[in-house]
Amino acid sequence: MTGRVIVITSGKGGVGKTTTSANIGTALAKAGYKVVLIDTDLGLRNLDLLLGLENRIVYTIVDVIEERCKLKQALVKDKKNPNLSLLAAAQTRDKTAVNAEQLKEICNTLKEKNDFVLVDCPAGIEQGFQNAVAGASEAIVVTTPEMSAIRDADRIIGLLATKEEITSTKLLLNRVRPNLIKSNEMMSVDDVVGILEIPLVGIIPEDTGIITSTNKGEPIVNDEDALAGKAYRNVAQRILGEEVPFLDLDEPKGIVAKIKNAFAKLKAKV
Amino acid sequence: MGLFSDIYNTVAKFFRPQEEQGDASKSVATNRLKLVLMQDRTNLTPRILEQMRSELIDLLSRYVELDKELLELNFEQEGDQVALMLSIPVIRAKDEEEIEAAIQAHKESLENDEESESEEFEEESETEEETDETESSEIAEEKTEEEIEAEKTDAIAKELQDVPKIIKKKKVSKPEEMGNNPFKSDETENIEDVIESSSENK
Ligand SMILES: Nc1ncnc2c1ncn2[C@@H]1O[C@H](COP(=O)(O)OP(=O)(O)O)[C@@H](O)[C@H]1O
Ligand SMILES: [Mg+2]
Repeated sequence: MTGRVIVITSGKGGVGKTTTSANIGTALAKAGYKVVLIDTDLGLRNLDLLLGLENRIVYTIVDVIEERCKLKQALVKDKKNPNLSLLAAAQTRDKTAVNAEQLKEICNTLKEKNDFVLVDCPAGIEQGFQNAVAGASEAIVVTTPEMSAIRDADRIIGLLATKEEITSTKLLLNRVRPNLIKSNEMMSVDDVVGILEIPLVGIIPEDTGIITSTNKGEPIVNDEDALAGKAYRNVAQRILGEEVPFLDLDEPKGIVAKIKNAFAKLKAKV
Repeated sequence: MGLFSDIYNTVAKFFRPQEEQGDASKSVATNRLKLVLMQDRTNLTPRILEQMRSELIDLLSRYVELDKELLELNFEQEGDQVALMLSIPVIRAKDEEEIEAAIQAHKESLENDEESESEEFEEESETEEETDETESSEIAEEKTEEEIEAEKTDAIAKELQDVPKIIKKKKVSKPEEMGNNPFKSDETENIEDVIESSSENK
């Protein structure tokens, strides 16, 4: 078996890379695929918290690289879903503790026994980014509809384009607020896709449920009723090659033709 | 962009009906972003733009007397496209004699350059390359040195015939009206949508 290695990246911090990694990973595992999540944000580890696994971490990626344990020993299984496991970042070490070659080797080993290896990338474009990207052949660039996040995403997209190993780069637009788009205070999905010019893999609404789900250590995809959960499930399906229409984020407030049209146009494009 | 845009924005906001304000913020963001990405994506760093500016001043000064301090070279949003806009405040047109003299002087300086280049080519080539590297390494990423050299020669030949035409095409304007104002385009484009959505919001 050769699994797919997908890096979740963004340039700017705080736009939702870790949230996205946890949710897509959980959704793919729920769909029956074997998934490993790798947290490469050395010194700022978070993925364990979002998955509620923080108390189970014994070894980290740095222990694997410095040969204090076997790779298999460092993989922490999810509480609910045995298909999902996590390779945690070291909290006490800085990013120089790992290099790109080492991460690539770990990804290559993991993809032999898993369907998906998802790499949660740290912010920035330096060593941490280069490490996270090293073993991947696909990338998901996360952004919010804000200028600074889009600018950084553009930079990342440019850097990814120079990497031969990366054969697919897709966009995930997070924290979309339909009300603000409606009143033309926020850039629309169309605007962002028009500027960044890469295919869209998901639109995730701003959802306060994400805060409570983080508090509980349970990704929002597990919540059947949450809109963001549904949006993330759709992303997972699109990763699996299914054609899923983009959510009509307007539903609760009455449908506006303009936004519907925007989504219809996007569907045709992607 | 900063101060003037801010003032413009404040004033424009004051006069604009309530429902249009949202539109301004979104299209301002989109336009500003397109401009900044244009700069990010090219190798035209501020320093290189400055070099371009000074070369343009040299060239244009042969034909018109211009206010060098106020000449502006900027990226600007033109409908769907991003354009490099040059705005030249002309102080006075030069008469034919002056122009001829300037062209002549320029030709001579070029010839001198060429002579010294071919005479001392062997000795100078090394030092020349070094300075080239430090001065224009960023350009070199987009165009090779040979390409730039070739273009220079082409451009000089062309410049002698074409420049008066180009000048006519350039926008001559007061600084207040100048190119770096992102609020100009799109202003009326989405008014219908805005009115529609703002009524739905209530
Ligand atoms: N769609 C969303 N709706 C509401 N809050 C969100 C959403 N996505 C992310 N957040 C919040 O934003 C913050 C940063 O998210 P995180 O995934 O840690 O970003 P990153 O890994 O890119 O730094 C977190 O507090 C998270 O709960
Ligand atoms: Mg993170």
